[in-house]
Amino acid sequence: MSETQPNPYTETSPVVLLVDDSQFVHRLLEARLRSESIVLSSAEDGKAGLEIAQRDEPSLILLDLDMPVMDGFETLRELKEDPRTRDIPVIVLSGMNSSQDKVAAFDLGAIDFVTKPFELTELRARVRSSLRMSELLRMLAQKAHIDGLSGLYNRQYFDEKLSSEFNRTLRHGQSLSIAMIDIDHFKSVNDTYGHPAGDAVISGVANLIMRETRSIDIACRYGGEEFAIIMPETDPNQAQLMCERIRQGCEHLAWSRHPARNITISVGVAGTGNTDTVTITPEGWVEMADKNLYHAKQAGRNRVVTTGLDGTHISLAQAG
Amino acid sequence: MNAPDPNAFSLDINDPEDAELIQYFLTELPDRVDTILAAFTNDDFRELERIAHQLKGAAPGFGFPSIGTEAAKLEQQLKLTSDPSESVETLRSQVDQLVSLCNSYINPS
Repeated sequence: MSETQPNPYTETSPVVLLVDDSQFVHRLLEARLRSESIVLSSAEDGKAGLEIAQRDEPSLILLDLDMPVMDGFETLRELKEDPRTRDIPVIVLSGMNSSQDKVAAFDLGAIDFVTKPFELTELRARVRSSLRMSELLRMLAQKAHIDGLSGLYNRQYFDEKLSSEFNRTLRHGQSLSIAMIDIDHFKSVNDTYGHPAGDAVISGVANLIMRETRSIDIACRYGGEEFAIIMPETDPNQAQLMCERIRQGCEHLAWSRHPARNITISVGVAGTGNTDTVTITPEGWVEMADKNLYHAKQAGRNRVVTTGLDGTHISLAQAG
Repeated sequence: MNAPDPNAFSLDINDPEDAELIQYFLTELPDRVDTILAAFTNDDFRELERIAHQLKGAAPGFGFPSIGTEAAKLEQQLKLTSDPSESVETLRSQVDQLVSLCNSYINPS
């Protein structure tokens, strides 16, 4: 008997979660879906399936109806109630060809229904079709979060992420910093060189921010010429350094529409090294960063003003 | 004693992937037979129905549709009887059918 070769995992291989109490079904689908470019992950009951779904957010779930303890209907209901798993398409597998079950499954939000024993060519086609749908949904959802001009996340996404990142960081007592960035004298760029030049400045600064931030950061266009960055696992010293790098980078950007005129930014940062003792609201946090941005403007622009949540001022010397 | 269905392997034994599945099923089958017999002996009809249900769904995919058919009959009988302990004889005959069929694959003469 040949050894089972696991599907080579690549970034692009979607994860498909199989929830079924029968070892036979796991073994069968593992063999029969091997030719598909997917990574198959498995759970043997509804409860374990829910946990894996919440943790890994697979692209597709194959869910058996008839399982002991927590049956497929109950699992499906819980999947559809949880915002983390709600949008994952679910194909229901059943040993019974019952219209009543089909109706119930579709009403609970299943995307498809397959009867055992499987017709394998058909099952593969259904898996592919559901994965296509899931990919389109993912792209659409992502697009709804992206600002068209800058390519950064939009304000709505920032607001969503602000509270979820805030809560997550609080739970783990980790560090967190938030930066507000504003382009200096932006109105005069628009007035002097026209709106297309203003747009070029916004997308130029956005590109710089995108380049200088890490994958864990959430960089957004907050409004007009204002940007915001949520920096998880980042204390105010590190945040100060990162924002200082962006500020310096901006000073040195070359602008084809106005080569003689440099663009600078002012930045306000508020952060903490340990969220265990945080009493501030997420909105209050943003306000604090905004206040520091205001101080940066008052002090002559083209600078970064950073404070800890307790009000301690972070200077560049300390940060370095 | 049922002779194995000549068309029993709905899979191609010469195909490596099919052969792997057939082999796997045959390796697991003795264990399931033991579970069926134990469940029947202990009047554990829920467990018996669960195994029958699993075999019904899985056996055809591994190339053993006749086992699937016999398992389906057993499951059906368990579902139809409100108190299986009262129709033990009918059940025994269906369990025997299924077990002999499985054994004929496990120990082909």
